[in-house]
Amino acid sequence: MAPKFEIEDLNAWFGTKHVLKNINMKIEENAVTAIIGPSGCGKTTFIRCLNRMHEITPGARASGKVLFNGLDIYGDGVDPVMIRRKIGMVFQKPNPFPMMSIYDNVAAGLKLNGVKNKKIIDAAVRRSLELANLWDEVKNDLNKSGASLSGGQQQRLCIARALAVEPEVLLMDEPCSALDPIATAKIEALIRKLAENYTVVIVTHNMQQAARVSDYTAFLYLGELMEYGPTKQIFENPKHELTEKYITGKFG
Amino acid sequence: MSRIINSGLEELSATLHKMGELAYHTVLAALRECVENRDAYNEIREMSEALVSMADHVEDRAFELIARFQPVASDLRTIKSYMKIAYDFARFGRYALDMSYANQKFGGIRNCEAWIISHVKDMGEKTLSMIRLSIDSLRSHDSQLAEKVTQMEEEVDKMYFDFLDKLIERADITTRCMVSSVLIVRYLERIADHATYICESIIYIATGKKVILR
Repeated sequence: MAPKFEIEDLNAWFGTKHVLKNINMKIEENAVTAIIGPSGCGKTTFIRCLNRMHEITPGARASGKVLFNGLDIYGDGVDPVMIRRKIGMVFQKPNPFPMMSIYDNVAAGLKLNGVKNKKIIDAAVRRSLELANLWDEVKNDLNKSGASLSGGQQQRLCIARALAVEPEVLLMDEPCSALDPIATAKIEALIRKLAENYTVVIVTHNMQQAARVSDYTAFLYLGELMEYGPTKQIFENPKHELTEKYITGKFG
Repeated sequence: MSRIINSGLEELSATLHKMGELAYHTVLAALRECVENRDAYNEIREMSEALVSMADHVEDRAFELIARFQPVASDLRTIKSYMKIAYDFARFGRYALDMSYANQKFGGIRNCEAWIISHVKDMGEKTLSMIRLSIDSLRSHDSQLAEKVTQMEEEVDKMYFDFLDKLIERADITTRCMVSSVLIVRYLERIADHATYICESIIYIATGKKVILR
């Protein structure tokens, strides 16, 4: 199977600050890849480079190639909006549109993309909420505000919203750091389920979470990719001394 | 919603059940070989080697589950115990292979006196039923069933010592029969002990209590 992403010599800057240095890696399709590393190592910047979100920040730029299904997303004439539709993102803090109902939150992406047929939107909302393991909890309250849900439900709503536009990849930036252990367990089980049909890349501070949910783990340190491999290998028998120190908590 | 550790635990449990059945058949083959005129050494060796590699696999996967999922409470007890049980099943295979080796070397007990054959058969059946009990209590993590092993273990121990007592008083037994039968009952006694360890592990999984049933 061809990899979903092939990243070649990826570099990223904020102004003059060089935050990602010559990253080369492949990300497998329909698998969960976790990005771990200490604060400021470039984890979030890395995934924001995968769907051209990085360049939205003023003064930010990137160089190198990010091949998505073989296509360089930084190539001439590539529409970043199309890229972001195929490569969705879920953020640290659940951020449902606060003035919108649960239904409208999920439908928002479709409506922005010009879908008007109510039947199609209804079906997509239901399918997305079911995929996000939220449907049973909200099916009788679809008109309630998204902000009325619990934190864990809000995060699953955000995942449903991302799924509604039928992406191929979900990028998740610390999706559980604002959630309690029960809500976290639900999101982790959901991530494993999604990996059957989607490619998931998750940034996490929580090494145990990376160990639990991911198939592959990448360890970033000071903007460099120190080690990358199957999660079992990274957590049982890391090759690099810095990886060993980081995951066993012997850092600094 | 199913927990993400579950698929790993289920896989371990399925491997252990396969090991249990294979271990049972390995011991059964060695016992038949003692009294029948057949050479099962290669077959038993293959089964014994398969048990060792399955035990290695269980250990590897158990290790991975510990590293990745930080199991606690009943999950942790289960994983720790599954590693021990896998070793116990592999020991069944090893003792069966040792029995078969002794059969090859000394001709088993098929030409020995009737009372020796009958004693070994009885002790073999009792030992097999202990293995069966350990497999059954593993299937459902049934601690009450597991406790029943205690009495059987006492019986096997008694059969073992009774046999040695009887044998030592008999001057008419050939050395060949003496050596063969002593090795076989000794291996059966060891197998019975490991079946008891498995039952102790089941009680630990189910209740958290560390008991000694011997």
